[in-house]
Amino acid sequence: MGLSTRRSAATARGGSLTRRILLRGAFAMGMIAGTAGALAPILGKRAAEAPGTADGPAAAGTAKAPGTEPERYAERFAETYRGRHIQGTARGTRPARAAAARRVAAGDAMTVTAVRDVEVRIDGRPLHVMRRADGSYLSLVNHYESFPTLLDAARAAVDELGGAQLSTSPLHRL
Amino acid sequence: MVYIRKNQRDLTRTEKKRFVSAILELKRSGRYDEFVTLHGQYYVTDDEEGPRASHMTPSFFPWHRRFVLEFERALRAVDPGVTVPYWDWTKDNSPASSLWAEDFLGGTGRAGDGKVMTGPFAHANGNWNIRARVGDGSFLTRNLGRPSDPVSLPTRREVAKALSDPLYDAAPWNSTVAKGFRNTMEGWGRGGTVRTFHHNRVHRWVGGVMLGATSPNDPVFWLHHAFMDLLWDRWKKAHPRSGYLPRRKLPASDPQHGRVFSLHEPMPPWNVTPAQVLDHSRVYRYA
Ligand SMILES: [Cu+2]
Repeated sequence: MGLSTRRSAATARGGSLTRRILLRGAFAMGMIAGTAGALAPILGKRAAEAPGTADGPAAAGTAKAPGTEPERYAERFAETYRGRHIQGTARGTRPARAAAARRVAAGDAMTVTAVRDVEVRIDGRPLHVMRRADGSYLSLVNHYESFPTLLDAARAAVDELGGAQLSTSPLHRL
Repeated sequence: MVYIRKNQRDLTRTEKKRFVSAILELKRSGRYDEFVTLHGQYYVTDDEEGPRASHMTPSFFPWHRRFVLEFERALRAVDPGVTVPYWDWTKDNSPASSLWAEDFLGGTGRAGDGKVMTGPFAHANGNWNIRARVGDGSFLTRNLGRPSDPVSLPTRREVAKALSDPLYDAAPWNSTVAKGFRNTMEGWGRGGTVRTFHHNRVHRWVGGVMLGATSPNDPVFWLHHAFMDLLWDRWKKAHPRSGYLPRRKLPASDPQHGRVFSLHEPMPPWNVTPAQVLDHSRVYRYA
């Protein structure tokens, strides 16, 4: 039984990475020039765990009862690390329903994510970064280890790259 | 006809040679890079919406079983005598192991850029040009054991401990689950404290391209995942009353609904369910 052959496998195109690079590209335009001043990393901040009644993200700035407020996070940095220029921004909002969802699921995994933008560059070249459900980050250079902050992920990527530059178009080749 | 997957340390010279030749032929034909691409495309994290078949998910084991099997089929189409060997990294746990010798996978990378200089996959031979890549070099890279900040491979005892857990997986069915065989073996630490263990740690130990989303660019990927596959068998044998979880499709109220694959939900890209790959004994066995 079981392991019957069905080809088509490797020719199927998931499209997921393509989608992500597009999102990231659009974000890069707006963000790098945008928000002035470093936002202190407020990662790890959790919204109050009250019953979530809203079923969509509430509009930013709107006063809401605890638990219906979307949860926001942001991080921004630019520095020279081991001779390489690294810069990054992460900001996003988790909808209020995430808090309720978390209580349904065992543990404290943040399982529902809404708006979110992450951008990292090493010597000006984009480094693809992904988030884990616990809010930590992985990069395309290091997919089997995650880091508590975007800055940690960027530095680890530099460590791993040694002297190499990032490929200008890794995802076109993926 | 059932065929056998052997421990790589038990391969004869000829078996090693044929395995390497079949890989190089897949590479030449372009088929190898399709596997690399597929792995990169399906690496979706648990922070993203949408289905997650290959990593940070209960179907980590069945998805990779099928993935290695597809690769093995491609190899056997080139040379029907070839099977994927496994690398028991609890035993062959040093860069001095015969796995990394000139006549098999070649050794670690040189200082600076991590370029692998020895063995059949060394760039200078002209047979191993990396296309789906992260850095600007098109050569295979490794950093075995990461001497500058050493990592060790998982030990027998650590693996035995993971195998002793009768629970396959648990809610929330992602990389944050603190119990269960699947996530312990996949090796996700929590929020950057213990950063990597077990399966992930092996990728970390090899370093170079094995650490990226396109890790199958290093042929050791298949030997590592064949051993993971064997460990899944051992777990099943140790816990005959346990099984794959979740057994049923998660209800719409569950945050992981539509994102993880229960026992009878078909996994992309092959449309096979975890249940359909549980028994491989009529296809291959481990020596
Ligand atoms: Cu792996």
